[in-house]
Amino acid sequence: MTDITALRQAIATNLATIPGLRTDSEVPDNPNPPVAIVQLEGIDYDGAMQQGLTTLMFKIIVIVSRQSDRVSQRSLNDYASQNGARSIKIAVESDRSLNGNAMDCRVQSLTSVGSLELNNTEYSAIEFSVAVYV
Amino acid sequence: MAKYVVTSQSVTINAVDLSADCARAELVINSADVETTDFSSGGFVELQGGLKSGVLNLDFHADYASGGASETLEPLVGTVVPFVLIAGGTSVGTDTPSFSGSVLINSFTPVAGAVGDLATFSVSFPTSGAITKATS
Repeated sequence: MTDITALRQAIATNLATIPGLRTDSEVPDNPNPPVAIVQLEGIDYDGAMQQGLTTLMFKIIVIVSRQSDRVSQRSLNDYASQNGARSIKIAVESDRSLNGNAMDCRVQSLTSVGSLELNNTEYSAIEFSVAVYV
Repeated sequence: MAKYVVTSQSVTINAVDLSADCARAELVINSADVETTDFSSGGFVELQGGLKSGVLNLDFHADYASGGASETLEPLVGTVVPFVLIAGGTSVGTDTPSFSGSVLINSFTPVAGAVGDLATFSVSFPTSGAITKATS
């Protein structure tokens, strides 16, 4: 059985290796930026016979404060980079087995850059698409 | 079961169940065309069925783990091994018949795939000898 909760937690654990970035495997009521939130986006079943392959798509939303536009943009640049200590891609793929819960995973793309309003506060946010094969 | 959506064909090669690594399975049975056209054929080609042959076409996900498709097929290249294909399930029945016989493992692609894609490979094995259908 695919343990989706364990997969989300494992992605969050990998993200937590980024210095200063909070993580949450579930959408919090009051996010405390900078924070990376892991959400299930979709599932492709029956990639092989007898459920031999299921592809789960996760969305990672990284939310940062907009108190300073310049600082928030530079911060997002670091998270969006394909390498570096704060790279979301490097962090997620640091353990591609997701603690033994997946056959493989890959950060496929940065899908969105924009702003996000939560509790009457505007934040900067970027979203990543992650494919997980189980 | 009448018409069905393919999700659970059972694919066994050399007694190893490779279903979980297999994304497509197809068994084709052919007959050779033997021409019997003569002066009384009325201007049309006449044919009779000749020797039968078969091809087992499979799409696999590369899997180097023990019992995986890659690990299983690699040492079999050049050999004739038994296969069993069960349509639509793991147990044989009237709605889920099995087709069995032998195939020549005449090719194998140990590494394939473009960057960012799932590693997959396709094989096309000619059958050797008779293909048998069973419903029980």
